[in-house]
Amino acid sequence: MKIAAEARMGNDIARQFAHLPPAQAAEVIARHIETFWDPRMRRELEALVAEGDDSLDPLLVDAAGRLAAHASRSEPDALP
Amino acid sequence: MSLLEQPSIWDPEVDFGTPAVVADASVSVTIDGRQVDVPVGTSVLRAATEAGVTIPKLCATDSLKAFGSCRMCLVEVDGAKGVPASCTTPCADGMVVSTQTETVRELRRNVMELYLSDHPEDCDGCARGNCEIQALAATVGSAEVRYGRPESREQVAHAHPVDESNPYFSFDSSSCIVCSRCVRACSDIQGTFALTVEGRGFDSRISAGGSDFLSSECVSCGACVQACPTSALQERSIVQLGMPTRSVETTCAYCGVGCSFRAEVSGEGQDAQVVRMTPSKNGGANEGHSCVKGRFAYGYASHQDRQLSPMVRDSIDDEWRPVSWDDAIATVAAGFKAIQAEHGVGAIGGISSSRCTNEEVYVVQKMVRAAFGNNNIDTCARVCHSPTGYGLKQTFGTSAGTQDFRSVEQADVILLIGANPTDAHPVFASRMKRRLREGARLIVADPRRIALVRSPHVEASYHLPILPGSNVAFVNAMTHVIVSEGLHDEEFVRERCEDADDYLAFIADPSNSPEAMAGATGVDPDQLREAARLFAHAGNAAIYYGLGVTEHSQGSTMVMGMANLAMVTGNIGRSGVGVNPLRGQNNVQGSCDMGSFPHEFPGYRHVSEAGVRGIYEQLWGKTLDAEPGLRIPNMFDSALAGTFRGLYIQGEDIAQSDPNTQHVEAALRAMDLVVVQDLFLNETARFAHVFLPGTSFLEKDGTFTNAERRINRVRPVFDSKVGMDEWEITCAIGRAMGYDMSYAAASEIMDEIAATTPTFAGVSFARLDEVGSMQWPVFDNDSVGTPIMHIGEFVRGKGRLIETVFVPTTERSTRKFPLILTTGRILSQYNVGAQTRRTANNTWHPEDVLEIHPADAEVRGISTGDLVDLSSRVGSTTLRAQVSERMPAGVVYTTFHHPVTGANVVTTENSDWATNCPEYKVTAVQVGVANARGDEAVAEAREPAETHA
Repeated sequence: MKIAAEARMGNDIARQFAHLPPAQAAEVIARHIETFWDPRMRRELEALVAEGDDSLDPLLVDAAGRLAAHASRSEPDALP
Repeated sequence: MSLLEQPSIWDPEVDFGTPAVVADASVSVTIDGRQVDVPVGTSVLRAATEAGVTIPKLCATDSLKAFGSCRMCLVEVDGAKGVPASCTTPCADGMVVSTQTETVRELRRNVMELYLSDHPEDCDGCARGNCEIQALAATVGSAEVRYGRPESREQVAHAHPVDESNPYFSFDSSSCIVCSRCVRACSDIQGTFALTVEGRGFDSRISAGGSDFLSSECVSCGACVQACPTSALQERSIVQLGMPTRSVETTCAYCGVGCSFRAEVSGEGQDAQVVRMTPSKNGGANEGHSCVKGRFAYGYASHQDRQLSPMVRDSIDDEWRPVSWDDAIATVAAGFKAIQAEHGVGAIGGISSSRCTNEEVYVVQKMVRAAFGNNNIDTCARVCHSPTGYGLKQTFGTSAGTQDFRSVEQADVILLIGANPTDAHPVFASRMKRRLREGARLIVADPRRIALVRSPHVEASYHLPILPGSNVAFVNAMTHVIVSEGLHDEEFVRERCEDADDYLAFIADPSNSPEAMAGATGVDPDQLREAARLFAHAGNAAIYYGLGVTEHSQGSTMVMGMANLAMVTGNIGRSGVGVNPLRGQNNVQGSCDMGSFPHEFPGYRHVSEAGVRGIYEQLWGKTLDAEPGLRIPNMFDSALAGTFRGLYIQGEDIAQSDPNTQHVEAALRAMDLVVVQDLFLNETARFAHVFLPGTSFLEKDGTFTNAERRINRVRPVFDSKVGMDEWEITCAIGRAMGYDMSYAAASEIMDEIAATTPTFAGVSFARLDEVGSMQWPVFDNDSVGTPIMHIGEFVRGKGRLIETVFVPTTERSTRKFPLILTTGRILSQYNVGAQTRRTANNTWHPEDVLEIHPADAEVRGISTGDLVDLSSRVGSTTLRAQVSERMPAGVVYTTFHHPVTGANVVTTENSDWATNCPEYKVTAVQVGVANARGDEAVAEAREPAETHA
């Protein structure tokens, strides 16, 4: 099955932070996506989550839910 | 009027005879009545030249240490016996020197007579003005030769047939005086040791190892030609075009070393021709050295394939129609506006080029942000060093290497990883080899046995053949050894770094040990431990790296891992140390600096930062988007999804250079309007609707920024061959889109950059013309730049130690694809080959080949020269095999210089997690003898995966 680009890229990010406590990892992933992803890609990711795409890493799913919570970014993409 | 009486038509750089000396103390000497102060250790020859006194010389040149063999530079010194050679005599305080006494004049005449007795009267170099012998004979007053003189070259004792094997220069031994300048240039400057002196006495002759130049170890860097005082070694272009009449100081348009050159030219206006390119001694990056590309491979700029007229077509299946600039720009603007009207502001974007100047790149990102109204601007650095930008900004606070090139001269241990500088950055490699010959130790971490592992007078202390994809495991293991054995710099870590406790605990964990990581790295743990100890114990340890680091799924993590290693050992903030990216293209650093990334304004400031955005909004009079735009791979994905439909591409060939060619081509086909601005109708132009002719570096006015952050001037040798400068074209598109952007000159663009970017605040064309070059940051007009960064404090305050967990790539060898392909460059070709393939550099590399280990070849029945199929899960191509012990078993290698083989047909969509830099260095493949044989098999090589399912 072909995996959506946003799912593939998001999963790649999620794998990098799998060593962190889940909530912290999700927060970092969300911040990275906000910093670097075009809004249409973020919307596509949210759509994949809404569709229940089972190719998504659970950390990525958690991160997608946190995207809306970040209306402003005072410190772009600082790793934890 | 004899030839000797003709006025000089050429004014070469002053040759001071011996290299400059750097010393704190100086001495004062008097030479022919002129007093001059020079640093202690300066030769009398150099001091005299600095004082305006010319001493005849033949074997001396200021790029080489004094040799003292020609006996032409003899002088007399008051109070001293004899007539010492001024090149080997250091100045002493109070020394009084006479250079024109009758004694030395008589000696010089006698010596000159001996040289002339074996130099042909019909020397065409003497006649042309490219041979110093005849002019020097006149200078020293050798009117006659008592021993007779050969009338023709055939009568010269050591004459051999002229060696014209090299496409760029010839060697005529009859004009040679065997001064050894070429031999010393090859060994001391280039470090190749390809030349020697054969025979004795009158039979002595220069030899390229007993063969012709082309068949020898010679790498055609041109150092020997540059050093030759006669026309024995001479550019063939000089024979064809005659001597130049003027020169223009400019910057090479090939790799990220950014060498300074004198473009030596004859003729004016549209009739002007480059006679030769000679490396500038004052060039901060190259200091008088060059490689085969910069020195000789400039002919593409006037190649018949150059497209000089704008062209349009309605469909990519139609023929091109030449049109006026006005029509072409109107077509572009109307097309882009129509797309935006139907599909939204974000449906178009642009890609800037690392082959273009800072000024040209700056206006492209300005056009996208202000005229297009979005941040869909990206650059080819996406596919090479974007992880460098990310990793170094996270750890040190800015997206650039820490050192100048000269720093390597202070390094005691060099860790070279994922880079092959003798091929990809040859002029810097020569500098590195010089330091290695002086005794610095070398650790090479690379799957391949690259040249620096063992070459003349250079041998790596350790070659660690890490498996592709295991860089992070490797660097973690190195740092683990250093920390767990207590070899780290505790004081530096505590004073200069943050998050130290967490990082030290992470890296000391046994899971990061060489033994635990051996399965991933494939490296003997004991060897790795020894290498780590060598690195830790060095006074100065420096890391140099290239695309073998960045083009991985963990490229950014690896950059941070190397930054960790440098910080943990205290190897940051002084000369001889640092984290040094060897950038690929000439202006990769500059294109990134200029705001070519979709999330950053110039100076690496995020688009979401309201204060920064406000600077540009006020200056540009436009409200700017605060959200990041699409990166290049995202543009492709969005094009296939239908949300991205128009693309302006400045000087890049994404259909050849970017991974998974089928995917790229499908994306380009899906767009409504593709605009290509380039010198040639490249692979990408096959999918374009508008072609805008670009300008070569010989027509540009601007700046390039090299891998050491050095901002160099690029000066036009010719007027634009296409009628407009590239920045003017971009501005015209912006205006046609409804946004007024205009400049009177390229210098005004730099003025705007300086006014809006703190790290460029003190940069202007006028200042660059005054001081030569500057390395950013240049915070004000009192600064001449910053060769070494992070002295005392990091840009971000404290350096950040970041846990770099090794996460293996998902691309793994399988039963179907059991080998791992890695890709790279070769010396004579450059990137997609658009430039070098249109020069005689094809002599050395006419096609891409697949290097394969003997065991892997044998089991497949493959011999060198066989055509083989190379296939991955995404595609297949055909190319010739080269069985090579440089490769480890299980790994194959090729280059991507030739579109006919198209190596990127087989590379995949995998990319760095942080930046989407493609994972070019790890592709699971299979190799087999091709069914079809013959050149037509290569010509029709590329196939998508579907046919190989």
